[in-house]
Amino acid sequence: MLQLKMKKQEESVKSSIYDLVIIGGGPAGLTAGIYAGRARLKTLIIEEKIAGGQSATTEHLENYPGFKDGVGGIELAMMMEEQSKRFSAEFAYEKAISVKLKGDTKEIILSSREVKAKSIIIASGASPKKLKADGADKFHGKGISYCATCDGALFRDKKIVIVGAGNSAIEEGIFMQRFTKDITFVQDLPYLTAEKILQERIQNYSDTKFYLNTLVKSVNGNDRVESVTVTDRKANKEYQIPADGVFVYIGYNPITDFLDKQVKLSEQGYIITDENMKTNIDGVFAAGDVRVKDFRQVITAASDGATAAHSAEKYLENK
Amino acid sequence: MALLSNEDREYLKGLFTGMKRNVNILLFTTEEKEFCTFCNDIKSILDELKSISDKIQIQEFSFENNKEEVAKYDVKRGPALVLMADKDLGVKFYGIPAGYEFSSLVEDIVDIGNDTISIDEGLIETVKAISKPVHIQVFVTHTCPYCPPAVRTAHKFAMANENIKADMIDSNTFFDYANKYGVQGVPRVVINEKHHFEGALPEEEYLRQILNSIL
Repeated sequence: MLQLKMKKQEESVKSSIYDLVIIGGGPAGLTAGIYAGRARLKTLIIEEKIAGGQSATTEHLENYPGFKDGVGGIELAMMMEEQSKRFSAEFAYEKAISVKLKGDTKEIILSSREVKAKSIIIASGASPKKLKADGADKFHGKGISYCATCDGALFRDKKIVIVGAGNSAIEEGIFMQRFTKDITFVQDLPYLTAEKILQERIQNYSDTKFYLNTLVKSVNGNDRVESVTVTDRKANKEYQIPADGVFVYIGYNPITDFLDKQVKLSEQGYIITDENMKTNIDGVFAAGDVRVKDFRQVITAASDGATAAHSAEKYLENK
Repeated sequence: MALLSNEDREYLKGLFTGMKRNVNILLFTTEEKEFCTFCNDIKSILDELKSISDKIQIQEFSFENNKEEVAKYDVKRGPALVLMADKDLGVKFYGIPAGYEFSSLVEDIVDIGNDTISIDEGLIETVKAISKPVHIQVFVTHTCPYCPPAVRTAHKFAMANENIKADMIDSNTFFDYANKYGVQGVPRVVINEKHHFEGALPEEEYLRQILNSIL
């Protein structure tokens, strides 16, 4: 079906102090916005790109409850965005450049202005980990992609390699089957890590090839990607896989650079919170993929967002 | 079937209210069926927009038969949309402006209708001062959330300076054309055929790329 997607700009926002500023408009931030709005907190959601975060570039979500036939990642994000606006959350489509978190009044520096808040939820999410292999920088955007939904259509009937075999990798592999049959997965572990149902589905396509226990050594070619060299760790053997495109899904890095280490982070760089999403700083909460947790899903992000908004409300009441 | 929900129609009605001047949209269809699979959808989108604001005027031409208009507006292939005020602004869409690109279309209409150029104040004089011809082609897919800013920046630059022409090109519809330019990631921005970059750069960096390409 033909889809028309619109980024709806808000009226210019008045510059008073917000009860709550939410940094990040993915499922965690949007859900926090819904709960905060219903708690009648004056709320601003800051989103650099588009509502939905990573979930917006997921073609189809099959495991979000309530949608028995699944729901498009962007459709779900747009519904959440509308829902949070319905409860009066304001939006600023800008980049949060830096923050001052200490004290009763927090400050958030955006690209065009500065906003103040009594409490903050950090829901800035994570961005895809870059492939570390020879040629990875050279071919970034020129054959190596981190978004099959964006770039998949450019590889019609081409040979593609997908690096990784988690949920994202397998889902995008299934998506890519619309465009090409020649798909090879390269996975560093000896097994696939995606949900079993996804594994079954991809393995039903007999054409799909898997290299397990295998690392990408280099991406090769002159002007375009021509092949990928991989190393089988167990057999200690090298293989050359012909490829026109490489799609990378090897995990994520948390987005915390704008925090300038004001919040306590784990060794891997994720924000440490308690079960109520509180960070080490009063009035500062974190939700979604950016915080330390085992399972990063749309629903766990939404759950974090609800809890964080509730904690922010309690914090503001008791001040 | 209506493409827009009532809610979206109301939103657009608000957005288009108070537009100062007419926005003329010229649609060039083509007889080449493989490119025109979405031509009826494009027409439906335009009809809906027209029904929301009387400031939006649609004219339809044939790429094959209306040679005069094709030459006048420098249309390279069909389907194409030319967005203009009374005069040509160098703003084009090749292929269907659906998916995320619908946003680009709507925002272009608002800028043209309000006679505003929404470029950062610190940059606009530099954009206006460009005296050499600049042709910007922005290759996109409809499923790319990062693409509309790249299209919009190009279109805004075109609105600001008549030496600049800017095209959105739907890489799905014009697959072979995109392939010719080696497009393997979107958005890809091609300036004057030879210079190119990937990704949606901020206005300032975008402008620097243009200035470097015409040195």
